[in-house]
Amino acid sequence: MAAKRRNLYLYLTLICFFGIIAIFITDGYMGVYDTVYITAEEREQKIESDIWQRNDPYWSAGVTRGEKAFIRYEVDNRRFSRYEADLEVSVWQMQEKVSDVLEQQITIEAFGKAEIEWTIDSAELVPPDAQPEQRFDYTLTIKRGDIERNIILYINPSPYTIKTVPAPPR
Amino acid sequence: MNIRLEYVLFGFGILFCLAGVGYLAAEYVKNLSEGGKLVSLLLTVAMFAFLSKYFENIGW
Repeated sequence: MAAKRRNLYLYLTLICFFGIIAIFITDGYMGVYDTVYITAEEREQKIESDIWQRNDPYWSAGVTRGEKAFIRYEVDNRRFSRYEADLEVSVWQMQEKVSDVLEQQITIEAFGKAEIEWTIDSAELVPPDAQPEQRFDYTLTIKRGDIERNIILYINPSPYTIKTVPAPPR
Repeated sequence: MNIRLEYVLFGFGILFCLAGVGYLAAEYVKNLSEGGKLVSLLLTVAMFAFLSKYFENIGW
């Protein structure tokens, strides 16, 4: 009787252990996850999908004016079924769309990955008559099906702006 | 030095289990939902409680 009861505790321990493993696999691993990689100002930022689940749904990246930001969007389908969604990428400012960057459908097989790359040219976003020392903020919106990811793009003035100095009077 | 072989094996088994759970936690706990985190916590507490009871019953 004592041995049976002793083994009962061991079995209950094992049930709890396998329960934890099952939760990690079904809730933590399975699903569709996306990662954004932004390369600007000679460094790469990685924005993983768990960042969007936090309270602040915005992430930011800085681009020097006149330079480009190279963005790679990776979608990881960790499910037993195929994943299909429409992907729309656009740039917004003050609730107004500035430009459409990308619009395409993505199809990912079960436990497959898809990578989509695009470039944001800061020179195309900034108005041509803007002052060289002026800074601009834009929102890069990545819409995948019902899911929306927003990244704030800071377009910083170039540190190497050439200023014309008037010649001293003779 | 009269340690029974089965206890050594138990020790290895427990270590491997904890290492496995630790690895899964480090990799995937960030993706867990709030409910998943709560149930995992409760199961972890229950697991250690049952394990303690088991060790108590075998005379450790």
